[in-house]
Amino acid sequence: MIWEVFRQEKPGGYHRHVGNVHAPDREMAKLFAQIQHGRRMQTHSIWVAPQDEISEVDDEDTSFGGTTDKAYRWAMTYNRVDASGIQEVVESEAEQRAAAKKREAAKKEEADS
Amino acid sequence: MDLDTVKERAGPRQFSPKDDMPQEYREAATRMIQFHANSEVMGGYLEKPFIRQAPSLDRKLAFSAKVQDEIGHAQLLYRAAESLGVKTRDEMLDELAEGKGKFLNCFHYPMKTWYEVPMIGFFVDGAAMRRQATLKSTSWEPYAHAMDKVCFEEGFHVKHGEDMLRELMTSSKANQERTQEAFEEWWPRVIQFFGPVNSQSTHHGFAAEVGLKTKSNDELRQAFLNTYIPKAERYGLEIPDTPEIIYHEDEGRYEVVEEDLDWDQFWTIAKNDYDGSYEQIGSRADRQEAVEWVREQMDSYETAHSGTAPQAAD
Repeated sequence: MIWEVFRQEKPGGYHRHVGNVHAPDREMAKLFAQIQHGRRMQTHSIWVAPQDEISEVDDEDTSFGGTTDKAYRWAMTYNRVDASGIQEVVESEAEQRAAAKKREAAKKEEADS
Repeated sequence: MDLDTVKERAGPRQFSPKDDMPQEYREAATRMIQFHANSEVMGGYLEKPFIRQAPSLDRKLAFSAKVQDEIGHAQLLYRAAESLGVKTRDEMLDELAEGKGKFLNCFHYPMKTWYEVPMIGFFVDGAAMRRQATLKSTSWEPYAHAMDKVCFEEGFHVKHGEDMLRELMTSSKANQERTQEAFEEWWPRVIQFFGPVNSQSTHHGFAAEVGLKTKSNDELRQAFLNTYIPKAERYGLEIPDTPEIIYHEDEGRYEVVEEDLDWDQFWTIAKNDYDGSYEQIGSRADRQEAVEWVREQMDSYETAHSGTAPQAAD
């Protein structure tokens, strides 16, 4: 029986799919997942799920969207105005900038792994 | 927890659903958050018809995203209000449809033209954001938490609102004149956003004592005028003569001449009894009824497919 394994590095982070293990039952799957996927890297938690229980829909089945440029959603886009005099807008934009940076970093990490 | 302890402990994010809060606190917080949530809904509905009037595709995308955000903010806020255990989300939405739910004065006025859109998108949203930024340190933790997300998004709304204003005020003379007309119509309403002037009592009100409000309406109005009068002037808008606004340079303070504003209208609006109130509340109530079948379908689906119904906004 095949179990898919999801590893979380730090509390609060996402569980990322890292591979699978062959195991006869849930307890053995958790044990094997620990040994194969948890031991060598920083790990806070691991999930295992029977492969049969994972459902998939892919880009052949449907069109997902998500390819539209959504720059219009961010304060950084509107640079023909100067919001520097409005403190709360400046703060909001700084938060949005930080979030964008984090998304980029996550994307890069995903591409590297 | 008794009321004295609440007042003693009052501070940013001090209380959460795990605390046993007195009824007075829970009712005051519900009233405040429900008002806020209702205002997000009514603002969104007021703006929605203008998505199709956007002058360009870029504006249309941005403006529809903004309206969608406002409805999302309402959901976050109803959730924060619900966590006080006084009213459910459904009860609050029904109260709004029945004309019992109160909301911001500015959203009782019908909007007729695109020139009015930046009046809401820049000035009203700007005023609201000024207030919301201070509510990040309200004492009801779920409310403050909702404000984190709301303020994160509002930066886009206000900057986009300013960009709409910039676009109009750098275009044809005719556009500039119509924008000025819209500004003159909306300016007194925007000032009334912060409630009656010279009302010293609000600062010492119950909401301030228990840390729900962290700034008085007077302080918020000052901060708003300080920032937004220069903004309006920079784009070539003329500040109307009425209401008279006197700037005390030595104190860095604006004084709004109270009797220049229409307070009868303000208090009629506060009772949902203005012509526009009936129009706005009625049209939203119609739309709530029109999609009743969707809610019914979802409810029956949930009952049929799971033992536990997910909470609203999950």
